[in-house]
Amino acid sequence: MAIQALDIRGERQTGQDVRTQNVMACQALSNIVKTSLGPVGLDKMLVDDIGDVTVTNDGATILKMLEVEHPAAKVLVELAELQDREVGDGTTSVVIVAAELLKRANVLVQNKIHPTSIIGGYRLAMREACKYIEEKLSIKVDKLGKDSLINCAKTSMSSKIIGTDSDFFSKMAVDAVQAVKTVNEKGEVKYPVKAINILKAHGQSARDSYLLNGYALNMGRAAQGMPMRIAPARIACLDVNLQKSKMQMGVQVLVSDPKELDKIRERESDITKERIEKILKAGANVILTSKGIDDMSLKYFVEAGAIAVRRVKKEDLRHVAKATGATPVLTFADMEGGESFDPSFLGSADEVVEERVADDEVIMIKGAKSSRAVSIILRGANDYFLDEMERSLHDALSIVKRTLESNTVVAGGGAVEAALSVYLENLATTLGSREQLAIAEFAEALLIIPRVLAVNAAKDSIELVAKLRAYHHNAQTKADKQHLSGTGLDLVKGTVRNNVEAGVLEPAMSKVKIIQFATEAAITILRIDDMIRLEKEPQNEDD
Amino acid sequence: MANKASTNVDRYVDTSRKHDIRQANIVAAQAVADAVRTSLGPRGMDKMLALSSGDVIITNDGATILNKMEVMQPAAKMLVELSKSQDIVAGDGTTTVVVIAGALLKQCMMLLNKGVHPTLISEALHKACDKAVEVLTAMAIPLELSDRDALVKSASTSLNSKVVSQYSSLLAPLAVDAVLNVVDPSRPEAIDLRDIKIIKKLGGTVDDTEMIKGLIFDKKASHAAGGPTRVENAKIAVIQFQISPPKTDIEQNVIVSDYSQMDRILREERNYILGMIKKIKATGCNVLLIQKSILRDAVTDLSLHYLAKAKILVVKDVERDDIEFITKTLNCLPIANIEHFREEKLGCADVVEEVPVGSGRIVKITGIKNMGRTTTVLVRGSNQLVLDEADRSLHDALCVVRCLVNKKFLIAGGGAPEVEVSRQLGAWAKTLQGMESYCVKAFAEALEVIPYTLAENAGLNPIAIVTELRNHHANGQANAGINVRKGQITNMLEENVVQPLLVSTSAVSLATECVRMILKIDDIVAVR
Repeated sequence: MAIQALDIRGERQTGQDVRTQNVMACQALSNIVKTSLGPVGLDKMLVDDIGDVTVTNDGATILKMLEVEHPAAKVLVELAELQDREVGDGTTSVVIVAAELLKRANVLVQNKIHPTSIIGGYRLAMREACKYIEEKLSIKVDKLGKDSLINCAKTSMSSKIIGTDSDFFSKMAVDAVQAVKTVNEKGEVKYPVKAINILKAHGQSARDSYLLNGYALNMGRAAQGMPMRIAPARIACLDVNLQKSKMQMGVQVLVSDPKELDKIRERESDITKERIEKILKAGANVILTSKGIDDMSLKYFVEAGAIAVRRVKKEDLRHVAKATGATPVLTFADMEGGESFDPSFLGSADEVVEERVADDEVIMIKGAKSSRAVSIILRGANDYFLDEMERSLHDALSIVKRTLESNTVVAGGGAVEAALSVYLENLATTLGSREQLAIAEFAEALLIIPRVLAVNAAKDSIELVAKLRAYHHNAQTKADKQHLSGTGLDLVKGTVRNNVEAGVLEPAMSKVKIIQFATEAAITILRIDDMIRLEKEPQNEDD
Repeated sequence: MANKASTNVDRYVDTSRKHDIRQANIVAAQAVADAVRTSLGPRGMDKMLALSSGDVIITNDGATILNKMEVMQPAAKMLVELSKSQDIVAGDGTTTVVVIAGALLKQCMMLLNKGVHPTLISEALHKACDKAVEVLTAMAIPLELSDRDALVKSASTSLNSKVVSQYSSLLAPLAVDAVLNVVDPSRPEAIDLRDIKIIKKLGGTVDDTEMIKGLIFDKKASHAAGGPTRVENAKIAVIQFQISPPKTDIEQNVIVSDYSQMDRILREERNYILGMIKKIKATGCNVLLIQKSILRDAVTDLSLHYLAKAKILVVKDVERDDIEFITKTLNCLPIANIEHFREEKLGCADVVEEVPVGSGRIVKITGIKNMGRTTTVLVRGSNQLVLDEADRSLHDALCVVRCLVNKKFLIAGGGAPEVEVSRQLGAWAKTLQGMESYCVKAFAEALEVIPYTLAENAGLNPIAIVTELRNHHANGQANAGINVRKGQITNMLEENVVQPLLVSTSAVSLATECVRMILKIDDIVAVR
């Protein structure tokens, strides 16, 4: 037996080693995403083990693709995912802030300050910071008018690949989100981003992307003989197989007379035929089913001049049903034990057309009864470009949604971080306990955001951040300078400016969440003083 | 170690070998105790465990750490078992018990080195332990179950040492209410924590954790066919049969020889299911909970369609183990066959609805009439690690409250009882004679490890604190303990740091028993 007294299957590390190691791992992770922060951040190209290439600027996507092994670093990856889920944007910032908090905490621990004191200080600072954002820094959306929504979307996009066309896309994002606005039975207003269908099609340029008021299905008609366009459309949403009906398991067909065989075969197709007739009789002229339709059945639709689409994704079917007011039908059975199809199951739309977008056929349902479903059709040069466009748009949509829900915005471009840093530093000096140092470090750590922004833009970060802090100090101490609280960085010119006026805005909720999540994650990692790694396979006993 | 046992022939003569074994056992067990030592107390740190499956656990709970650590040395394994049994008996103090055992072993080692015979030590430990329990019981303060504040205090003492400590003000009352809710006033000792169901749901923060007077299903209502997702004035049936085409046990075939029979088969299936649903509907039932079945589908598309038409909300795939809990809560009877479907077997509730929680949806039943003594707690957390830890911490808090319900005595926390026991045993040792006196004294000293570790983990000077504490106790302040937040000695009762007596007594007695067992081992033989 070795000197290690604790005999476990695996290795164990304790104390400062673990902390330093965890902090290092997190630091490494944050260094990877650091350069992609901000409007002048750069993209990463990731090649996975089967050779697929992803080009992205989105922190959460980068970290997800990295397949991090280290358990502490995994916490950070989860953190980015969480931010992605809860807010949808700011995934890079949250990782950078968390890693910086850890780095500074580790230095404090090395200076013999007990981790619990640091944790206490961080927690206090976090609470104060969030309170300060909500009370002092946030601005009501209605105060700034409708432009603020577009500006928020623009800020989120500015760092992404579609940044150059941000005017174009931000308007699209705002329109899309407002189109899907719903009010549930409890009177809560919801903006389900999921109801926005994003389709990607090769060819043409990004500026040729467009917002379709209606729903687009990425598939063609089932048969060529069907009409290309039907208006007005009566839509049936089915979850039924329209193929020759089969008997269930355990039913055997046993015939003694060959004539019977034909009849049975006929009956098989007749069952389906009768169903189709029932649908058509109810007045449907567009039939969407999530299951199959076989060629024999198709002819009935062709004869009736209806559009039938098979193998529609269930998700799509649900959205179409919602938008057109149709009821998805699982079976034709009625309460009497027979089969029937009620016209009330049908939904309606002004027009259903099949169009060609690039190489694909797309079925478009336009002018649906409620416009609660919209589609965005993205055009772009190649797959990577389209994928990244979709991710960027998703971020922008989430941001618009959060802004609409929370109704408050804050200035972007490092303004909030600088303001908080100044505020917390002042707060720290008023405290006489051990937490003072931790809060001061917390304040210092927040400055990482403007600093990285400046570095990424190849500007003098030290000078800019110093200037920024000076403005915010004035804003907080002098009553007549309060308008300066929106001062942030102008990364193109390399100066400071009022970002509220410049239209660089972010939802307040996003900032609050960034600070909360980053602090929580840092604390989680900081509390660990022991790491036990168990071996993957039980090895031969070596004693 | 295995090869030593097999090669050594003259093991009956060789006493140094026995010594070695004992030494090795004690060292190994001590190492285990050392491993969890740093997680003791409100300022204890967490452990990160990377399991062989690749999962990561971050925890502060002694039992969990040891359980997952895969200790190999047999004596060390005993300590793991020890913390498990403390978990079963008291539910909390799993770290404490191991730390005490470790300290006792350390003292025993010194006694052994002095040449004291193990059986003598063992006997003396037994006596000392009895005396210690006596002292603890004398210190305890009786408690009334109606005294909710005191219960909340002890629950928050338990929660304060956990990762989720900042939420203790929320979780502690929650734990107390949950337990009090399931206590049968006529038979408080027969409390069963299984009547409290904890459901974990990712998303939100721990702040969103709530106790629900009713039932929760961590699944969606089955509304593929557009069935209702909200039902008011619900009449709920728990069924254990399936609403799908029947299957016989033996291999069966339906033989069709005529095309008209095909229609009949299809119609028969519809009629069969329709018949069932009409029967269900006739009783006024509008919510169905269907037990999971491995033999056939609980519901088919067809039956869902009919159920939707009948405006019946369906929750399928209810686990078999949950049926008892559900029927107890709803105060209804499970229905095993459609023939037995009668109105008096249904449960009633005001609202059954599907609500979105985080990224998923759950079904909530609230306003249950004649609700049984059960409680559901919905735990939320921002990631899986926090969620799991919140669950474990809540379990500990629930156990603490349960302990108090079982044995209605409170005792001060913060190392106060240990120091008091140590002082009184020290005094008692002086009245004894011979080896016993020595051993009791060692026992007394060992108990001081708790305040010592508490102080150490809090970043205080342990020697200064422990000596000061001793001084306070010598002056008769039996409830003085370490106030970790302020870093000084205060009266623990005034600081609201209290814990159930059962946790302390069982920790001392279990630890002693385990140590006695380890002491008595003088050989390890590997048997294949």
